Amino acid sequence: METTALVEVQNLYKRYTPNGLYAVADVSFEIHAGELFSLLGPNGAGKTTAISVISTLLEPTSGVVRVAGQDVQRDPMAVRNVIGVAPQELALYDDLTAHENLRFWGEMRGLHGAELAREIDEKLGLIELADRAKERVSTFSGGMKRRLNLAVGLLGRPKLLMLDEPTVAIDPQSRRYILDWVKKLREQGVTILYTTHYMEEAQELSDRIGIIDRGKLIALGTLDELIQLVGQHETLRLQLIQEEGGAELAAALQSLAGVVAASATDGEVLINVTSAEATLAAVIGTATGLGLSVRTIDIREPNLEAVFLRLTGRALRD
Amino acid sequence: MRKLAVLAIKEALVAFRDRGALLTMLATPLALTLVMMAAFGGGGNSSPLSEIPVLLLNRDTGTFGQVLTDIFFSSSVGNLVMPTLIENEAEAAARARVDADEVAALVIIPEDFSARIFPFGARAQALTGVDVTTLAPNATLTPEQQMGFAQAFMESQMLGEETGEPSRADPVIVQIYASPDWRISTLIVKAIVSQGLERLNIQIAGTTNIVARLAAGMLQAGQTDVDVAAAMGAMSAGNTGQGTAGDANVNLPIKLVTTSTTGRGFSWLGYYASSMAVLFLMFAVTSGGRTLLAERQRGTLPRLLISPTPALTILLGKMGGIVLTGVLQMLILWGATTLIGAYWGHPGGVLLTIVLLVICASSVGALISAWARTPGQASAIGSAVTLIGGALSGSFFVRWNLPQWVQNLSLVTPNAWGIEILSRLQAGRALTAILPWLGGMVLLTVLYYTLALVGFRRQFK
Repeated sequence: METTALVEVQNLYKRYTPNGLYAVADVSFEIHAGELFSLLGPNGAGKTTAISVISTLLEPTSGVVRVAGQDVQRDPMAVRNVIGVAPQELALYDDLTAHENLRFWGEMRGLHGAELAREIDEKLGLIELADRAKERVSTFSGGMKRRLNLAVGLLGRPKLLMLDEPTVAIDPQSRRYILDWVKKLREQGVTILYTTHYMEEAQELSDRIGIIDRGKLIALGTLDELIQLVGQHETLRLQLIQEEGGAELAAALQSLAGVVAASATDGEVLINVTSAEATLAAVIGTATGLGLSVRTIDIREPNLEAVFLRLTGRALRD
Repeated sequence: MRKLAVLAIKEALVAFRDRGALLTMLATPLALTLVMMAAFGGGGNSSPLSEIPVLLLNRDTGTFGQVLTDIFFSSSVGNLVMPTLIENEAEAAARARVDADEVAALVIIPEDFSARIFPFGARAQALTGVDVTTLAPNATLTPEQQMGFAQAFMESQMLGEETGEPSRADPVIVQIYASPDWRISTLIVKAIVSQGLERLNIQIAGTTNIVARLAAGMLQAGQTDVDVAAAMGAMSAGNTGQGTAGDANVNLPIKLVTTSTTGRGFSWLGYYASSMAVLFLMFAVTSGGRTLLAERQRGTLPRLLISPTPALTILLGKMGGIVLTGVLQMLILWGATTLIGAYWGHPGGVLLTIVLLVICASSVGALISAWARTPGQASAIGSAVTLIGGALSGSFFVRWNLPQWVQNLSLVTPNAWGIEILSRLQAGRALTAILPWLGGMVLLTVLYYTLALVGFRRQFK
């Protein structure tokens, strides 16, 4: 893998109103050419804001962002020439066919003639929609639209492809298709900035991962490097019979020996522990003491969920 | 330029594939315009009219010119008009006032008016010193006067044949020099003049009858006074066979000519056809402009903004599509209303006006889209702007009957410019005459697009 920085983000700050909160605060990272870099964080963490600044849609409040050596503020058009974006929304025209959508967006990228025709055919084949090219997008399923949305981002062979939550609101089969497709792109050497709030996707796809929460980049590294942040800590997942009481239990567990962090959400309690075996009995005892009954217990190996829990004290879905 | 065209074509394509939008943009305006034309096209306008400023230039040396001007001051006309008599030398200034739309019309009665419409009376007065128009039915004529009347009769019969003076076959022309912008008022002035001519007709017929009876005894033996009266009446009327404008019942050799730079009269059908078309155009473009915000919500606009395409190109391309749709809408309405008899004016001028008007109207759509926050907000503002603009500028009421300040205020809307220009074209004005108006509309377009661009950049910064 090359080590040339295709994207440089230095001390990026962005807020939408002069006295408002920072949506992104002091974020710095680099993306190397040919790398798949994921920004992982819960909804509202600042992922889309960061991608919007890098793609020149938003101006940074302060900080420097360069893509392929071009400053996004000084020469946004040069940046736009080398990027492709598949936004979270299905940014397509429902009343146009798949072919017409690709043609239109290709023209907007400056393609035309035989080159555009070749690209359209290639992309339609890539997303397996060649046989439905002449059908209006309004007749497509959510998964098909999502694939077309991604294909539009690839028009013009951009140096950097930004995929903003590309698997939101689609069925598992389409999600699998997209993940495999992204892997293929990565194998082809396409540099990808991928945002997600699904830990599994970041783990499966990424060369490096930046964990972002409340506008701040709280961790950055490869999967192994991030997991080392929590050491050999394991995660206990408790499902309670009662719907209420999870938060009270999480708070009580914080002071328990061997518990690194605990968080409750949706009737579940996630507990980051130094040793599941050593702390399990005490955890159950605490729950019982609070009048809570445990339905299931799940012990997990160290993962990004544990990292997030360890770093923020909250579950990724909070 | 290529991207701008691609954007515009895409916009039009999306619009024409949306059946609901098509219904709104094309079918509904067409149907409603035809209905409104059917309802109001043949009728009049009930708006009160009064104190129409009219200038009267009476060059006639006889008495009938005075009769004609008196009608403007009579109680039967009331305060409908505000007439002013002017002197001969003031004609140029009077015409200038009409050209400047300060007064509705200038009525010009020619120098030989009385002599031409009643040559016998003029000859008789010259020979006998008697003003036959003032003769009482029971008056007593001296033999010299009777001889003079007979000679006058013979001479007036020869008028135009041997004397070299204008023939009775050539009607005397009463000119109404009218402002094309005072169409309804001009029609009223014309009606008053026609009413005056009717009175003259009656008066001359009566005078002829009286003189014939008085002179009957000294004419050829065997002729009855009725024969003489008939002969003299025919002589006086001239039987010219000339049609006169708006005075079909007048038998006098008078031609009423309304002149203005337009050369065409006002047409309700044409007025409603174009004013309704302009109103629905505004609905279409403000609705089209709303789609900019809809695209923003849908995510296609942000995607466009991060493509290597300048923001101005995106805005103009987007509005270009709306312009294409608007032009098509106007062309359809133009064609359909023309088929049922509406006249819009010289095709070249109408086409140019339609294109510039639609671009101007699209600037309002762009302005609303650039400053509104949501499609719903844009829709509400667009509807309000369209309806208020339509009311102020003359889509619902005839523009020239609105107070002057309303007419002036309405020039902030494309509707007003569109109606003004199209009305001038309907009235037959040449392209050169509407160029200043087109220029004004272009300036308004530039202003609104500049403000729209500022708002657009502000929204997406």
